Amino acid sequence: MVPLENLKNVWNKQEDCKYKFSKEEINKMIYQKSSSVVKWILIISILEFVLPYILLLFTDYDSSKDFYIKYDLTGIMKIYFIIHFIVILYFIYIFYKNYKNISVGNSVKELMKNIIKTRKTVKYYIYYNIGIAAVIGVNIFYKVFTSATFKETLPENTNLITLWAIALVLFTIVLLILWGIYRLIYGLLLKKLKVNYAELEKNE
Amino acid sequence: MTKDLEHKFVAELEEHQNIIHKVCRTYTNNEAAHKDLFQEITIQLWRAYPKFRGESKFSTWMYRVSFNTAISLYRKSKRNINTSPIYDNLKELEYQKYDDEHDKQLDLLYKAIHSLNDIEKALALLYLEDKSYREISNTLGISEVNARVKMNRTKTKLKNILNP
Repeated sequence: MVPLENLKNVWNKQEDCKYKFSKEEINKMIYQKSSSVVKWILIISILEFVLPYILLLFTDYDSSKDFYIKYDLTGIMKIYFIIHFIVILYFIYIFYKNYKNISVGNSVKELMKNIIKTRKTVKYYIYYNIGIAAVIGVNIFYKVFTSATFKETLPENTNLITLWAIALVLFTIVLLILWGIYRLIYGLLLKKLKVNYAELEKNE
Repeated sequence: MTKDLEHKFVAELEEHQNIIHKVCRTYTNNEAAHKDLFQEITIQLWRAYPKFRGESKFSTWMYRVSFNTAISLYRKSKRNINTSPIYDNLKELEYQKYDDEHDKQLDLLYKAIHSLNDIEKALALLYLEDKSYREISNTLGISEVNARVKMNRTKTKLKNILNP
């Protein structure tokens, strides 16, 4: 049993740690690779920014172009593209600014806050992507389902409402899967940090 | 110039390395993890070193970076998995330790600290190091009042663990 009053005594009599490192060993250490969570957040975030565009490279550009012309989508897709481009630049700028603010010399709480903020930018970016995918998707469905060309290909007495329902359900499932994957990565990276941040915030 | 900075940094770190070891022993429970965390703290200190202007003491700054690394930045590396030979060493060391009453008490103290959460661990360490509430509030980034409240809770918790 150790009485609390004596704890400081016990603590202060602590000798040098048995794993004491020499100057040479410390010198070697500073050139080792870091395994910091911030490094992983940066790598994963950049992937999340870039991945949708890498996937685009694998789509057939000509057939999408023909598809847009066929269903009169070229104009609206251009508008979406311009909006999307501006929004993404804005996100990258905010992300970079937040990332720069992460400093290990800050207080424990401030560091956590900045890391969570940086990751939040990516969270909003993903939500925005899912949101705009939903808007564009519904827009495409609408254009296709109401076009005469498409209606001609349907068998007689096809119920358009059923068609809409099936399309929307499948589309929602795809978006939910994307959202789920994102939540998983986000949770894995920040779970511990969020618990600790909440603990510090308590009673403030 | 960079080499000069490197020499200066390594010399200062070597001299104050006990601070990092205390933080490592507080946040890890085996040799491999201890050394791994020590290395990560050293890397973070070196990266932040050019920005360290000496507005606080080197040791104060080291505590801050060490806690930040242990609490927020450190992700356990896979290297910790293969630790069987080290565990044997540790057992041996623990055997020798119990010959000495002081080491036994210190060991108990660290064991008690291990059962605290990450924030309480930092508070316990700062308490044992006899830091002022002002410094504690600056290091953790919380108000002094809150630091006092949290410190009292941590001390009570520690007492209950040590004297069940």
